[in-house]
Amino acid sequence: MRARKQPLHVPHDPPAVHIEDLTVAYHDRPVLWDIDLDIDTGRLAAVVGPNGAGKTTMIRTIMGLLRPLAGHVYLFGRPVAEQRRRIAYVPQRAALDWDFPASVLDVAMMGSYGRLGWFRRPGRRERLQAIDALQQVGLQGFEDRHIGALSGGQQQRVLIARALVQDGDLYLMDEPFQGVDAVTERAIIDVLRRLREEGKTVVVVHHDLQTVPEYFDDVALVNVRLIAAGPVEDVFTDENLRLTYGGRTPYLPSLRPGAPSPESSQ
Amino acid sequence: MIDHTTAVVLAGCVLIGATSGTAGAYALLRRQALLADAVSHAALPGIVLAFLLTGERSFSVLLPGALAAGVTGAVLVQHTVRWTRLEQDGALALVLSVMFGTGIVLLTVAQKAPQASQAGLSSFLFGQAAAMLSGDVVGLFALAALLLFAVAALWKEWKLISFDAEFAASLTLPVTWLDAALMIAIVAAVVVGLQTVGVVLMSALLVAPAAAARQWTSRFGTMMLLSVAFGTLAGLVGVGASNAMEKGPTGPAVVLAASGLVVVSLLFGRERGVVWVRLRRRTKRRGVMAEQLLSALAQIAIQHDDPFEPRERGLIGADQLGAEEYDDLLALLERRGWIRCVDRYHWALTPEGLDAARRLGHQRGSA
Ligand SMILES: Nc1ncnc2c1ncn2[C@@H]1O[C@H](COP(=O)(O)OP(=O)(O)OP(=O)(O)O)[C@@H](O)[C@H]1O
Ligand SMILES: [Mg+2]
Repeated sequence: MRARKQPLHVPHDPPAVHIEDLTVAYHDRPVLWDIDLDIDTGRLAAVVGPNGAGKTTMIRTIMGLLRPLAGHVYLFGRPVAEQRRRIAYVPQRAALDWDFPASVLDVAMMGSYGRLGWFRRPGRRERLQAIDALQQVGLQGFEDRHIGALSGGQQQRVLIARALVQDGDLYLMDEPFQGVDAVTERAIIDVLRRLREEGKTVVVVHHDLQTVPEYFDDVALVNVRLIAAGPVEDVFTDENLRLTYGGRTPYLPSLRPGAPSPESSQ
Repeated sequence: MIDHTTAVVLAGCVLIGATSGTAGAYALLRRQALLADAVSHAALPGIVLAFLLTGERSFSVLLPGALAAGVTGAVLVQHTVRWTRLEQDGALALVLSVMFGTGIVLLTVAQKAPQASQAGLSSFLFGQAAAMLSGDVVGLFALAALLLFAVAALWKEWKLISFDAEFAASLTLPVTWLDAALMIAIVAAVVVGLQTVGVVLMSALLVAPAAAARQWTSRFGTMMLLSVAFGTLAGLVGVGASNAMEKGPTGPAVVLAASGLVVVSLLFGRERGVVWVRLRRRTKRRGVMAEQLLSALAQIAIQHDDPFEPRERGLIGADQLGAEEYDDLLALLERRGWIRCVDRYHWALTPEGLDAARRLGHQRGSA
């Protein structure tokens, strides 16, 4: 991943995501401003920024759900419109109606709908794929459960299973770690690493700054503009974080060893 | 024997019930129940305008007017939400009252018109089943068949956009078109019932079968089937009841039958009915209390050399639980084979009981 100030040097594999001069607005109000960003294939990348920074907007634009005011997005070297089938998507859990009459297996199988095309119903094969995906996220035995009868962390894992059934090359996940406990977080990060081993690219909107260095290869710091992007060890600095979060310097014990924790100072 | 008129009304009401059940399930799941109400009220000016333009009273002629006005109402609501600062509820109230008001004004104009045929136009307010002709039934049948076909063909797409439209869009499904098609299906289901059920009650008939069905199941397919079945049943029962009453109002009777199904389902629905939920909660509570009692008993038992030897009954628990509840829980434990009631005053732990207590203790420890 890099913020492309300088031209690309060696022309090798096209990046999984190539964002150029991107400006996105809702009703004339720019939410993303002049973003240039490349995310290389096979990386685990975090998108980090304060609330309202435009992270979700960025994900939606990468998927081609929003028409940018200016600029464009290329996926694997081609325009988004031609590549949308290679995307697997995990939306923000809170955006969904969990009261909807559907079982865990139903929702996981929805990942196959794009592949199936018109008029074909999911069959035995799609069922097996869904069961396998649920197993990968540790939800075996929950297939027939109503989705409303799951905990928040389990719901999150159902959405990830659905994306696994999609079997994309580029995984876009909007805050998959929100509201999950430590065990679920482990389970999810294991899945992400397995995806990376398979050569997939995974882009994750992430809020927990402390775990960024441990979990991710690359990070993009966003606040309307792209503040910095690149390998975590290069760009995930105090200075960049201050720029991203404005005056409100986020608390970062991992980067400032020896600093008193908020609990102990109370 | 039923006469021709009754047969026509019966067939018509059953078809209206079935289409309402089908489209209503989507309306309910997409939280568009109130939108359906706005649509049915918004259809009135369309009906009257169609009459003023054609001078015809037949429903098949007025239907396109109703459909157009209904769709206009739905689109107006959506655009009001998008372009003004009004929220959904405000937009619904606004569109409903403006269009319904216009309809009433037009109705007054129409009633002053010279045509004799305008008589009964106001029956669209509360519905008049007797006005149904056999031609109308054929039309209703065609619409029901079309709706059924659309639901079958777009089954997974309509289900997906109802649950997670953004994900559907990410799969490159044409969400806007699917959305519009489903909206038209809902509007059509509302509009075809207007002559029989009336503008005021139609949205109740649309939503009631689905709301009842949801109380019985948490599966999408089962809910659809039940919703259609309930709609059909409401049509049958409503016509039957109004016939039994001699000139009873058919439309309202159908709506009442559907509402009756809702009430019964809210109480006794297997999935979410109040009675079952209460019962399940009680059973669960009793189960937990029994398990707690078991671990207390096991703790006493294992303090002795032979954990399985009989002990006195009043030893524990009786002070916190009522005597009756205590007896009841002990009986439950015995039914599960976890303890033995030796005689009226003594119980003894069984090996299975000790196992179960260990297992439960382990579960609780690791949770
Ligand atoms: N549909 C919309 N219409 C108008 N404005 C919107 C819409 N969606 C988002 N916005 C605005 O765009 C800005 C960026 O929103 P976005 O959801 O992309 O932020 P985010 O970084 O994902 O925030 P969060 O961390 O809270 O999820 C916000 O100021 C928000 O109010
Ligand atoms: Mg967001």
